[in-house]
Amino acid sequence: MSELNLIIAGVGGQGSILASHIVAIAAIKAGLRARVGETFGAAMRGGAVASHVRIGKTVEGPLVPCDGADVIVAVEPLEGLRNAVKFLKPGGLVITNIHPWYPMDVNIGRARYPSMEEIEQAISKLKGKLIKLDATKLAQEAGNVRTANTVMLGALAATGKLPFPAEVLKEAIKENVPPKTIDANARAFELGMKALSK
Amino acid sequence: MGKLTDFITQDAPGKRVLLMGNQAIARGAIEAGVQVAASYPGTPASEILETLADAAQKLGFHAEWSTNEKVAFEVAAGAAITGVRAITSMKNAGLNWVMDMFMTLVYGGVRGGFVIAVADDPDAHYSSNEQDTRFAAFYGEIPCLEPSNAQEAKDMCKYAFELSEQLELPVFLRSVTRISHASGDVELGPIKAPERRPVFDKHWRMAWRWNVYGPPGPVEKHRWLHSKQAEIEQAVEKLPWNELKLVEGAELGIIASGIAASFAKDALRLLGVEDKVAFLKLAAPVPVAKQLTSKLLKSVKRVLVVEEGEPVIELQVKALAKDVAPGVELLGRFTGHVPRVGELNPDIAKQSIAKALGMELEKDEEREKIKEEIQKLVAPRSSTLCAGCPHLGTYWALKQALKRVGGKVPIVNGDIGCYEQGGYGIAGKRYEPSDSSESKAYPIQAPYETLDTNYIMGGGIGLMQGQHHAGYKDGALVAVAGDSTYFHACLPAIVNAVYNKAKGVFVVMDNHWTAMTGHQPDPCTGVTATGEEAAKLSIEGIAQAIGVEFVEVTDPYDLKATQQTIERAIQSGKFAIVVSRRVCTLQALRLKQYKPRAKQTRVNEEKCTGCMLCVSFGCPATTFDTERKKAGIDPILCVNCGMCKQVCPFGAIEEVKE
Repeated sequence: MSELNLIIAGVGGQGSILASHIVAIAAIKAGLRARVGETFGAAMRGGAVASHVRIGKTVEGPLVPCDGADVIVAVEPLEGLRNAVKFLKPGGLVITNIHPWYPMDVNIGRARYPSMEEIEQAISKLKGKLIKLDATKLAQEAGNVRTANTVMLGALAATGKLPFPAEVLKEAIKENVPPKTIDANARAFELGMKALSK
Repeated sequence: MGKLTDFITQDAPGKRVLLMGNQAIARGAIEAGVQVAASYPGTPASEILETLADAAQKLGFHAEWSTNEKVAFEVAAGAAITGVRAITSMKNAGLNWVMDMFMTLVYGGVRGGFVIAVADDPDAHYSSNEQDTRFAAFYGEIPCLEPSNAQEAKDMCKYAFELSEQLELPVFLRSVTRISHASGDVELGPIKAPERRPVFDKHWRMAWRWNVYGPPGPVEKHRWLHSKQAEIEQAVEKLPWNELKLVEGAELGIIASGIAASFAKDALRLLGVEDKVAFLKLAAPVPVAKQLTSKLLKSVKRVLVVEEGEPVIELQVKALAKDVAPGVELLGRFTGHVPRVGELNPDIAKQSIAKALGMELEKDEEREKIKEEIQKLVAPRSSTLCAGCPHLGTYWALKQALKRVGGKVPIVNGDIGCYEQGGYGIAGKRYEPSDSSESKAYPIQAPYETLDTNYIMGGGIGLMQGQHHAGYKDGALVAVAGDSTYFHACLPAIVNAVYNKAKGVFVVMDNHWTAMTGHQPDPCTGVTATGEEAAKLSIEGIAQAIGVEFVEVTDPYDLKATQQTIERAIQSGKFAIVVSRRVCTLQALRLKQYKPRAKQTRVNEEKCTGCMLCVSFGCPATTFDTERKKAGIDPILCVNCGMCKQVCPFGAIEEVKE
């Protein structure tokens, strides 16, 4: 693969942007060119966040084109769908956490949250492949619920889609997460990898 | 925290790292030996000074969050006059604040390198407009550099200091959201120690250099500025980031700059036409390099200009083509090949180039239909204030106070900060335009419908005074602003209100931090940009010193007391200031200083009548089951502030015992 176009989507506070930076840092460690385009709101919690990661010799701009994402990593399922409908390449892969973070629009009954079956069907209609895991539960198992982003990175590494070894990603995680959370993140990464190899 | 920025201060030439555009700009300034950096927070520019502030103490230079962009600009300019290198950074709208000093500083320029880094925000992701800084480069007759990726952001910033010293003029470095808030691999250069000794020479190379009125006066200094233009034109021809690729037999040429050049390159590859189209990347959009541009113009039949923002390059190319290649057809924003508003992306660049080439893009109509169907499943995720945000309490209290004593059609004038969400509207709800000849009341169903006017920093309190002097009698007049905005832009307006006898209620929503841009400190926080302890300025003390007769402080978590304070302020008939004070919940949580006011709260469904009053309070932790008509509280989001408990008239929101 000459170029990898990846989107990490989630909700503000879930660490999607940090996760995307870590992937890009790993790519640079491996001697590759990397671009990250972050879209996020203000400093508030709870907004939709999507970070585009582009790796490869030929990438220029920081944004993945429409129907151009090889992989979408969704730390939150609705955000995965939001990005898949616009960016998923036919034949591309969506790896999603199954644990929802409901938007206020849903909480107050102004909108409906799609069921996991609907999300599955939608990805299938978009000619994508879907991998599901309960990253939030695995993060709790790892000892820190905020490591769901790292669980997802573990799952991403297990797919073999990254153009560098999982070890490089592990190292980048260790170097870039808050020092107190290094062990929990290491466990989260392993749990994410294992969840996929099952 | 993580170590993403550790290497900002590392003197490790050749090391390749990931940098966000704003961090790269900061690193460029560090590599140039910057000695003074000043800014006011504004998305998407804030991380420039944040990064510099992180590095300042270690490397030994000065970095500050100034009260506003104008002061920041002057702080940096003052330093540059003494021959040291200085940078000021701001968002698009911040530039409007500095125009007065900027337009005069260029009549004499600077001695030390002075870089004005501005992050524009096409698509208005975080801004109230899409203004294009590059026009200001014309206005001030100085050059503007525009990076197309993070590496160039660093390198151009460093070079901008050198160019500034060569020209003895300030230099613009124009970024956009997709540069500032994008990251890329950057090869670091050596760091230059910030050790230049400041000097002052009143008549340095020009009589009365630093005093625009000093003889022979402003017109001669304007003449001097014009004498610099030839040098500027030469300089932009030689910028190492210019790229000219002529293609034999090509009919189309593309001229691009900044992020648009990166999008255009991606698009050329997506279309598979890299080798069929001539390409010119201009490192300086103002002024365009005439010789390079002429070469491209003369080599093709048609030219498409792809640039982010307004048609700044396009206008210059039009003028140039008239002289050097009158037969060339010019395409761009004026011809509809590039959309006139919003931001670019690889897809838009692809469509623009395809159109210019007369290529038909394949459309998968079946897929488009499927996408339309799926789109209906994608629930919106509206922007809200945070769970337990003090602004929720202030807005609730204001709404109740206006209902009781605000008259028929009160006007609430807004301002810029997290609380501007008080005018974002409710998800999916659209209003039909009205054409009423009389004042017209609209219900406020959620805090997000509170703000009737909102434009810029400090704008609301001035508008309120105009409404008063116009003789508006149909309702109470109110303005709101945050603590940082109070210091940034409201003080002259308060003086004006007292002096010119305006009436109205000014609510200062004081959460101690410049929260929306990422929690930078401000003059009432008690800490500086570099983390040093600082004076905590008193909002109410300043108001009293100015002579405001009604000044009261209230805690927005106490809804009743805050409501009553606002009612008293309205009924006082004076110019009144209410300081609604509580530290930002998000920041208090981060600093581990948050103290819940209530025990864990839950909804007692037997008492809940389904009236949805709590939902209209607007807290994202409040839930509502539309089938069972029962409210609920999301235990993960809830911070136990206890405000919703005060809202429920049926006592259905209870604290969990045990």
